[in-house]
Amino acid sequence: MTQRLFFSLTIIIFSFSAFAQEKYTINGYLKDAKNGENLIGATVYVKEVESGTATNFYGFYSITLPAGDYTLAFRSLGYSVVDRSIQLDQNLRIDIELQSEGIELEEVVITDRPEDENIVDIEMSVEKLDISTIQKLPPFLGETDVIKSIQLLPGVSTVGEGASGFNVRGGSVGQNLILLDEAPIYNSSHLFGFFSVFNPDVVQDVKLYKGGVPAKYGGRISSVLDVRMKEGNKKKVGVNGGIGTVFSRLTVEGPIQKDKTSFVIAARRSYADVFARLFTDILDDGAALNFYDINLKVNSTINKRNRIFLSGYFGRDVFRQDSRQGFNWGNQSGTFRWNHLFNDRWFSNFSVIYAQYDYGLAFGESDFDSFDWDSEIETWTFKPEFTYFANTNNELTIGGEVTNYTFEPANAVAISSGEVSDISVPTKRAIESAVYIENEQKISDKLTLKYGLRVSNFLYLGETTVFEFEENRVPGERRELVSERQADDWEVIESYTEPEPRIALNYRLNNRSSIKASYNRTAQYIHLVSNTVAATPIDVWTPSSNNIRPQTGQQVALGYFRNFQDNGFETSVEAYYRPTDNQVEYVDGADIFINERIEGDLIQGRGRAYGLEFSVRKNIGRLTGFGSYTLSRSELLVDGINNNDWYPTRFDQTHNLTLSAFYELNERLTLSSTFTYITGTPATFPNGRFEQRLVGDIAIPYLEDDQRNNVRIQDYNRLDLSLTIDGKKFKRGEKRKNEDYWVISIYNVYGRRNAFSQYFGQDLDVREVDANQLNAQTFANRFSVIGTIFPSVSYNFKF
Amino acid sequence: MKDFLIASLLLILIISGSCDDRIDVDLPFSESVLVVDAWIDNLPGEQRIFLSRSRPFFDTLLPQFVNGASVQVIDDQGDVFDFEERDPGEYVWTPPTPEETFGEIGRDYTLNVEINGDEFQAFSSMNDVPEVDSITLKLEIEEDFFPDTSYFAEFFARDLLGSGDSYWIRAFKNGQYLNKPSEINVAFDAGFSEGGNIDGLIFIPPIRDGINPEEENPEDDNEFLSPFQPGDSVFVELRSITNEVFDFLVEVRTQTDRPGGFSEIFAVPLANVPSNIVPLQNPDQQVLGMFSVMAVNGLGNRFGDDDIRISD
Repeated sequence: MTQRLFFSLTIIIFSFSAFAQEKYTINGYLKDAKNGENLIGATVYVKEVESGTATNFYGFYSITLPAGDYTLAFRSLGYSVVDRSIQLDQNLRIDIELQSEGIELEEVVITDRPEDENIVDIEMSVEKLDISTIQKLPPFLGETDVIKSIQLLPGVSTVGEGASGFNVRGGSVGQNLILLDEAPIYNSSHLFGFFSVFNPDVVQDVKLYKGGVPAKYGGRISSVLDVRMKEGNKKKVGVNGGIGTVFSRLTVEGPIQKDKTSFVIAARRSYADVFARLFTDILDDGAALNFYDINLKVNSTINKRNRIFLSGYFGRDVFRQDSRQGFNWGNQSGTFRWNHLFNDRWFSNFSVIYAQYDYGLAFGESDFDSFDWDSEIETWTFKPEFTYFANTNNELTIGGEVTNYTFEPANAVAISSGEVSDISVPTKRAIESAVYIENEQKISDKLTLKYGLRVSNFLYLGETTVFEFEENRVPGERRELVSERQADDWEVIESYTEPEPRIALNYRLNNRSSIKASYNRTAQYIHLVSNTVAATPIDVWTPSSNNIRPQTGQQVALGYFRNFQDNGFETSVEAYYRPTDNQVEYVDGADIFINERIEGDLIQGRGRAYGLEFSVRKNIGRLTGFGSYTLSRSELLVDGINNNDWYPTRFDQTHNLTLSAFYELNERLTLSSTFTYITGTPATFPNGRFEQRLVGDIAIPYLEDDQRNNVRIQDYNRLDLSLTIDGKKFKRGEKRKNEDYWVISIYNVYGRRNAFSQYFGQDLDVREVDANQLNAQTFANRFSVIGTIFPSVSYNFKF
Repeated sequence: MKDFLIASLLLILIISGSCDDRIDVDLPFSESVLVVDAWIDNLPGEQRIFLSRSRPFFDTLLPQFVNGASVQVIDDQGDVFDFEERDPGEYVWTPPTPEETFGEIGRDYTLNVEINGDEFQAFSSMNDVPEVDSITLKLEIEEDFFPDTSYFAEFFARDLLGSGDSYWIRAFKNGQYLNKPSEINVAFDAGFSEGGNIDGLIFIPPIRDGINPEEENPEDDNEFLSPFQPGDSVFVELRSITNEVFDFLVEVRTQTDRPGGFSEIFAVPLANVPSNIVPLQNPDQQVLGMFSVMAVNGLGNRFGDDDIRISD
């Protein structure tokens, strides 16, 4: 299979080369003139041929044209355009630094047209958020947050405020591939999900693929969130930071060797505990309550052909009752990348990636009575990728990926009165690999096609214990163990191979509008086992095995993109349909922690999600902003749940409307607002109750028809406001060296008690006296994560 | 574990504006179903089985009892135990002599219920149960979320050898049964669950400590009361149960222990608890409740000043 694929690759490449004679290549990097950061997705437009290309993730572009005279326009949103006339009679290297438009936004609007990238670009179902937009949005609990910002985009939702992760087009949290500088982040939350692991001060670029996922990405069936870190100012040393309600932040960046090597180091830490120590002794004797993260990146341009990058992330949440007992979790990742130009048209990148997530819990007051439990997932990935800029009409990408997984579901030791009991769950191992090829081809001025194939394989390997469960299960109930055996080191216990075709097309109707369509199939071999409303830090990733099949998803999407008023308004409508297979659900009473037979408690079923997404974006004028409306459905069909009928997922949201607006009051003041309206979350309500006297006067809820998510709780709506006050640019007539700004925000302006959930409980104040009393007072409650107006202030600086 | 999560989240509660309030919800109720309440043990005295019907969730009146049923338990040797209706819905087996107790450890039992021609059946076994060795009282100084001097009880018992034993620990403080959902305390072997594989040990600490009443301090929302005081008495009842009953009790706790607040973020979906009662005529007929035959060992202690252990 693989051999044949490479053979066909070779043929394709040669055929491209064949008609590339008498042509020359222009290539180079586009950078920000101020700090030397690479510009991702900046465009190079050749006026004479009315076509062009865009820079890749490393800011690199390459374009091949017949010999002749050309005028090139280098542009990127928010930067002044650079025009360059060239005489093309040999291969050229042109590195360009673009000047940021800075505060002259108004003028630029008049002198230059904004990009029509959304019309021209083949990508659909892709959301880009630049960090300056994220920083302008009213913050959640006073903290700018990448994942909370993403939730404002069409097709993206969450199970509620304070919940970890996000849901894309009806997919679950564990079906998103979250990458930080290419390294997978297995749990994106701080503080149980209130905040995400991304420090906004070092995020350069956030891109979310909801559909039309390029062949280079794989491993999750719902979406890809690709977060790229800043590379560090190559020109001068800069420091920025700030204090919010929760975090204090500091970033230092600068050149190690001017224009060649730069670094950035950033740290964030919660500081509530620092204050708490002053007022209470609850944090004495080893107790701790804090969370922090550190980002580090170094990149170096060795020469015109070689660049290397090293980036790392380390984050941790620590909750400790005393020096012995507590709970902590965190991600660690490291990426080494090497960009190499083989020649003017062959761009390559090699990445070696380490990623790890672990958590630990400890209880017990002495060495004689203790309970220690930790869990870990660790991966090493090697990823070569080659891009061949064949000519102006073809851009070919081929690559591969190999990941070695080690799962330690639970290393747990219980010591009871000095007797030690090791209750660890066996370590699991797996290798996931993939090869892919993808070509983006301009068929005509109007039609662009992108077609590719990814073939992925997953090997579930020994050494581990292999469990075999009964074949025919009672639907919805635990599968009983039939046998278990020990698999040898490197023994292939199970192997899966999935083809993943990816196709996209863009048909330009005219300069202002285009139609796009895409189809993709994706496979997911590792599963986030989580049966609670929101994902928790102690959820465990488990591999596909002889008992768990890989999840697969397909998506077709169709979109219409139209810009108005010289691209001042961008609008789009997209429709999608996503059928999925082997989604993971749980038997009632599933025991998902420290359970070596966990696979017997998992059930797999089908999913379907479909929807319509409307999006509007206003880019010009003093009032800018974006809005989205999503009409959607997300359902599951699982044998043994909901009477074997389709039921909505917890994040099924019929209507989801968000409006974000920014108004520049004057040079220093910007008013921002966000409004959100969401259909009430599906919930399961009981109808009846019954008791068992010996258990006590406890009303046991009963659902007559055994339905799941049969009711909707109240609708959700919320308005947030924030005011950004930029510090004075001049002081006593002189330009200030440092910049600073304050953000004053009000979350939930009208103090609505939006329900996270409605639940049913009973009064617990009455102790049973008479065993014959069966009169526990039952009630319904509404829980709001933020049920009041929540004001906050943050201060940010840069010098 | 869960308590600790919640405790950690208290900090956020302080900084954020979360709230929990009562609401009115209309829950349509169409028809009640049979509830079998058949928990039988080898303690001296009569054994009772109750038959009733489910009722609307917010109903706090007494359930509607099912009269005129025939209720019988048969063991694996063919010995029959007849349960005669005494009060409406209450079916009683009276031992032939006051010394005699129900059943024998190691035997399997079948429950047969017949109501107006509809028959129902369930199976259970009386498994062996270990002795409760001792109960102690610990003084904890400055335990977080508790008063500065708080007393915690702990019982000691050893799981029987061989994996697959399930137990239910019922605790009483000053004669009063600790009946809150969060106080349901069960063990699979010496640990929490089947997958845990802790066999033949003294029950692990969270189970040993699971006999302390959870009472919030009425004057301070963020604090609990000291579970015990010197002079209080505690009684621990250790019951052998089947694995089915273990799953049932775990699910009852999951479904009914809803302290609200941030624990809602990590709640599991509401679902029906299992039942081991099988309708014989119509397999689709809904029936609720459990048939459980248990062997019981118990131990009590009244805490004098000499019993108090100071925590290290």
